[in-house]
This record gives sequence, C-alpha cells and structure tokens, in this order.
Amino acid sequence: MSEPQHNGWFEAHWPRGALQQKKLNLAPRLESLKGKKVAQLWDDLFKGDVVFEILEEGLRQRFPDIEFVSWRVFGNTHGADEKEALKDLPQQLRELGVDAVISGMAC
Amino acid sequence: MLRASAACERAGFPTSSLTCEGFFKQGKATSIGLGFPNIGLALVPGHIGTKSAEQLRQDILQTTLGEVIKNLTTFDLAGVSTTEPSAKAIVARGDFFAVNDAFYASGYTDGLPIVPPTTSLMEAFLSFTDHDPDEVLGVMLPDKRAATVWSVAANGVMAGCQPQYMPILIAIVQAMADPSYGVEHSGNTPGADTLIILNGPIIKELGFNDQQGALRDGFMPNTSIGRFFRLYLRNVAGFHLHKTDKATFGNTWRVVLAENDEVLRDIDWPTIGMDMGFERGDNVLTIARYSGGGSLSSVSGSTPEELLPYLADSIERFNNWQITFTTSHGNGTLRPLAIITPILARALAKAGWSKSRVQEWLFEHVRRPAWEFERQLKEWNIRGTWDLTRDVKEGKIPSLFLESEDPNRLVPIVWKPSDLMIAVGGDPLRNNAYVFANNAFLGFPTAKKIHLPNNWHERIKPPSQGAT
Repeated sequence: MSEPQHNGWFEAHWPRGALQQKKLNLAPRLESLKGKKVAQLWDDLFKGDVVFEILEEGLRQRFPDIEFVSWRVFGNTHGADEKEALKDLPQQLRELGVDAVISGMAC
Repeated sequence: MLRASAACERAGFPTSSLTCEGFFKQGKATSIGLGFPNIGLALVPGHIGTKSAEQLRQDILQTTLGEVIKNLTTFDLAGVSTTEPSAKAIVARGDFFAVNDAFYASGYTDGLPIVPPTTSLMEAFLSFTDHDPDEVLGVMLPDKRAATVWSVAANGVMAGCQPQYMPILIAIVQAMADPSYGVEHSGNTPGADTLIILNGPIIKELGFNDQQGALRDGFMPNTSIGRFFRLYLRNVAGFHLHKTDKATFGNTWRVVLAENDEVLRDIDWPTIGMDMGFERGDNVLTIARYSGGGSLSSVSGSTPEELLPYLADSIERFNNWQITFTTSHGNGTLRPLAIITPILARALAKAGWSKSRVQEWLFEHVRRPAWEFERQLKEWNIRGTWDLTRDVKEGKIPSLFLESEDPNRLVPIVWKPSDLMIAVGGDPLRNNAYVFANNAFLGFPTAKKIHLPNNWHERIKPPSQGAT
C-alpha cells in the first residue's frame, strides 16, 4: 500500500450492507379498549411495576370493564433468557385470550 | 422491550411500548430493523429514575396513558422511506478530503479521516481471504443489515488496516454475528466497549504489540483493528450516537489486546483462546464488552497469598452495578476479566499455582456482604422488586447465594471460578494488573478461530516495527 495510487482521485465504495428487513404490517388495532384484555410485559427494570399500577388505575377509570394480565404471569422479557422468553410469548398470549399488549420499560 | 413488542405485533397483538423521553429517538430508529417503523411508543416524560412518586403518577396519567390508548386503537401512518445505494455502489468521488467530507456527512466515519475504500484497495483486502465477497457472515441488529465479506473489506480499508489483516477482520465479524455475543445490545446506556483478545502465531506474524503498553494505541494492527470494530458497528450493525447508540458517556474504541502467548506457554497456563475451547497455537480471537475497569499499580508480594488479595479486592470493586448480571436478570453471565502482567503470572506459576487454582482462590475471595449486594441493585440501581432470597428459592441462581439468612454472609459476584477470566499481557517486567467490568450477555465473551488463506505464509510481509 506504499506505492502512489489513484493520482489523488478516489472513487469510494459504500461501506454498509443491504437492509434485510422488509417493512411489516402492524397488527390490527382495536376499535376501543372497552371490555378488552390487556397484557403487561416488563423487563424487570425502571419501576415498571409502579407504572403498570398507575396505568391500570387510569385505564380502569376510562374503561371500567377492561381486564389485565399482570407482568408477573410472563416473567422478565429482557435479560439473558430473552430469546427463549419471546419464543413462547405469542402462544401464551393466545391461550390467555389477550387482545392487546403494553410493554415496558425503555429508559 | 421493543423486541418483545415486535414479537407481539408479528403474532397479531397490537402493542404500546413505554418509552422514556431519552429513548424515543432510539426506539424509532431501532423499530425499523425490527420491521415495524411505525410501532407505537408511549412517552414517559424525562427519566423514571429521578422522579418523585407524585411526579411519576402525574406524568403517567397526564401523558403516557393517552399515548397507550392511541397506540392500541390507531395506526401511526407516518412512513419511513429507505432508499439506499446498492451494496457495491461508488458513493463518493473526489480527492482525499472530498471523499472524507462526503463520508463524514453520510455518517460513515467516526470523526477521524478514513482511507477511501477504492476498488483497488478492496481487491487487495479480498485477496487475503478465500471467502466470496458476497458471502453473508450474519445479519446484525439494530439495522438488520447483511454483514458481507465485501463490507468487512470496506470497513477494514477505512479503518487503516493492512490487507493481510483480513482473516482477523472476518473472524471478528463472525464473532459479532454470533447470537451468543448479543451485538444487538451494543447501544445500551452504560456505553460498554468491546475488547478483542488475540492469541496465536498471527500475533508475531503481523507485528501486534503484545508487550508494554498493550492497551495503548501506537501499533498499526492493534489500533486499526480496534477501530475497524467500531466502524463496523456503525456502518453495518447500525449503531449511531444520538439514535441507536445510547451510550451515556462511552469511550473511544479499545485497541486489540494481544496476549503474551510465549509466557503462557512457558508457565503452562492456558491462553484466553484455550479457555474458550481452542488449542494452544491456534489463531483465535475473543470479543467481549466491558463497561469499565481500571489499573492496579504495584501488586506486591512473593507468594500467591500475598499477591492475590489486592487483585480480588479490585475485581470486586470494579464490578459494581454489574452484579445485576449475576442474578436472574443476567442468568449468571457476568465474566469479569483481569489482565495480569507476565511477571505476576510467573510468580504465581513459580509457586506451583495453575490458572484454575488462581481462579478458585479468587472465587472464594471476590465476595461482598449480601446486604450490600442487594442494596446496590434494589435501592441504588434499577431492580426494586428483586432480592437474592427469591432468586435462590425460585431456582434462578445457585444456592450458594443463600447459605444462611445472615445479611452479613459473603456472596460471590459470579457463579463459578472459571467465570473470573484471566489474561496475561502488558509490560513483562512491571507488577501491575488491569481489571475490566464485564457487560455480561450484552456482549458475552465469544471466540472464533481465524482461518488463513491457502498461500498465507508466502504472502505476508515481515511486519514493520511500529511506534517504538
């Protein structure tokens, strides 16, 4: 690499790699949370237990017949066992009759 | 958290992801690689760790609650367009400075000048591997880009590497792409940086510094390959400051640590590469992320019992909040690293101590009182609902963390002796050491053998001396 090259003119290649992820469609949204069952997912960090309690209270005020499946049911969704935990999650949500999910905490 | 949300969306469940203000940009950027650029994020104003209970309640009810309802009942239709060059496209033309300006403006560089990846330099690098340039070595989050051999060469050129470093660069990317390493976590807030540890004859063949100043820039292979790692994280994995790289502070990249294989052979201790499952004499690299650490000056004594207490004390102190990885959260993946100098290793070996005996002694002595362990995580840190007793009773951590109910009982910071990793390097005649605090499963020690092209020994030039 010590020989004179390029005569001071460079044409440089793109250093990145092609994106492999196609845009996916989000799940259908609910018309309302009225009468729906909402699962709480938590990564065990940043006071999520407190936040979910407050959210439950606020959501129940607006939608009195809303139901919740506690984060305690699912265990930690982050941590070293994340891949294993997420693998079984969809089936677990189906079995529990869940309609929607609140996931925390990114801080 | 977003990966959990994406798994739910894929399965047909609408989600809302609770996101502190400082993570909003990262959330938006990360969601693209997950396939859901418009995934619903619910804002938690400020940061949750510094709010009073009253303020937290007010913010959740006044701001977050409405966003959760909106996320679950409506779509955010704002799309993200991603028009990009083709994989081998020429993206900048001009003199050295023009190309560097263009690359910097496009976010391809770390702020230092790069060597432009021209066709002739790419060919030179690619000639040092038997891999096809289009071969995909892995796919890396958060961007979810193809890690091709071509992109390895491009970033190697840019970092100032020599073409003959290519086999090492490929092994690095293979390690990065290994799921056990966890490259997707490389933007977490502690800002841990990866250390590449090298073993094998390639150290001498390519002129790595394996002596004094082992962690300092000044030698081309150590420095430029360390820089390559960071450039690859940026350009292919997709970690960019103020977006996906949320290092609160961070550091410049670490130079490659070349272990002193000769001393290890002399004293019949295994190298790091051997600890990772390879043979003595194999060319092996090991990568792991470290979120802190520091040097120990003048480790004094003439027997293991005199030399090791200082090291044990420092491993315990430097691995502070990182003990969260010792618990159920990290599933015991904490792997602290101590680098001891050859003179210390020789003193321990002279007393008849093997590396594993040193690790066993350290395991018994790198301990802290249980109450202090729990205070760190429950009261000072981020795990308010957790304790050691529950973890043991639920079978999530070994019973040695609950040998009694005495809060003053001493508990280890790892699960077994071999989790305390020991490397040998640095100034051969100085009795110092260095301890790294590990980032556990968010950059777990991962090793790969370096595969050399067929005509390797005929082609490598004798290395220049470097910065002496």
